[in-house]
Amino acid sequence: MTCEEYLQDPDANTVHLESCANCRALEEELGLPVDVQHRPLRVDALPLASWEGASHRTWPLVGAGLVAALTLAIVLSAYAGISPMTVVSSSMPSLDALLTFLQLTGRAIGAPLVAVLFVAINTILFLLLRRAPKGVDV
Amino acid sequence: MFRRIVIPLTAIAALLALFAVVSPTGARGDSRSTSDKHYVDENVTIDQPVMGTVQLYGGTLMLRDVIAGDLLVIGGKVTFTGRGRVEGNLIHAGATLTGADGRVGGRTYPLASLEGAAGALTKTAIIASLLLVWLIAAIVVTLMSGREIRLSSVEVRTSALHCFVLGLVALTSFVLTAIAFSYLVPYVIGIPLLAALGVFALLTKIYGMIAVFHAIGTLVAGARSRGQLEQRKWLRGDLAMVVIGVLLLGALRLIPVVGTILWSLASIFGVGVALATKFGRREPWFLEFRAANA
Repeated sequence: MTCEEYLQDPDANTVHLESCANCRALEEELGLPVDVQHRPLRVDALPLASWEGASHRTWPLVGAGLVAALTLAIVLSAYAGISPMTVVSSSMPSLDALLTFLQLTGRAIGAPLVAVLFVAINTILFLLLRRAPKGVDV
Repeated sequence: MFRRIVIPLTAIAALLALFAVVSPTGARGDSRSTSDKHYVDENVTIDQPVMGTVQLYGGTLMLRDVIAGDLLVIGGKVTFTGRGRVEGNLIHAGATLTGADGRVGGRTYPLASLEGAAGALTKTAIIASLLLVWLIAAIVVTLMSGREIRLSSVEVRTSALHCFVLGLVALTSFVLTAIAFSYLVPYVIGIPLLAALGVFALLTKIYGMIAVFHAIGTLVAGARSRGQLEQRKWLRGDLAMVVIGVLLLGALRLIPVVGTILWSLASIFGVGVALATKFGRREPWFLEFRAANA
């Protein structure tokens, strides 16, 4: 509830005084008797917020997941005859190949078309990035 | 208006642009450069020496003579016969190569690691090893900035279409910007620009994928009520949601074809949500100038 809503109907919204120091000070300044009526609040009836329990860290689950993934990687790599570290180190594409691919593709498309597409797509990206996130603030 | 028309149109435009970049159909036939040749969905036989490079996007190529430059093959089939040889590098993705052994003067590069994997078991081993890397990265990032990951996870669930469109446009932008920077490579400045773009794109993908892991974990195993949450010992908290998301998406990734599609879709969502929330900080990317009121 906002202060404006309270000021429009102070008698009906006395619960606002509990949380707002400014309005409480205003009431005390006016010398009016303050009668705060507590409204029953059922916490369980409120929807679950995403931050509730979020900081809990389940280490057994993390450990189990790591062990499962590690075991799977080792077993499959052993069957395939390669080491997991070799797989990981060789999984990145070659920089030379990527650079050649980019240059050849750029040459195939042609510089004018690349320039037009570059401006068009980045303009759209700029417009999309201006939109504020809509997720609930938690 | 914005949701009904602009977003779908933007998605279609981004898809078309991405297709145009990856598969330049406008470059059919002879190249713009006299020495280069591009072929799109054509059945070609090369029986004369080619002084420049050859690019094949789909279709088949029967190579009977020498290519002095590089050979780039995306989704095509190449057969080396007779004097067929590539003096430069052979770069391929999703391609079938026959008789290429000993006929490439430079190096043979698969664009993706899975393309280079010989058999299905090797591919599965690669996926499983990378899954372990993803799991470790996800745990470390969630421990360091769990709140940001959670904010991005909420965003991808509440605003999925926007994240998808933004991801598509951003990926297209990355590719186009990389191509534009590759023109600058001869002027030295292109290399640091490309490196910076690559690092940014990689960080965006890693952060975004972890947010998607969290979102998937929450959708599948998240508590629906406070009572349910209090009863749980293991399936609660950001870390548990991320781990479940990694394991679930990783298991789906092991399915041939479908897994690749799902992982690619998750990547698009991930890049989109990373940029939409500015890596979970929920700050505007661009500040608007507004004159101060006197």
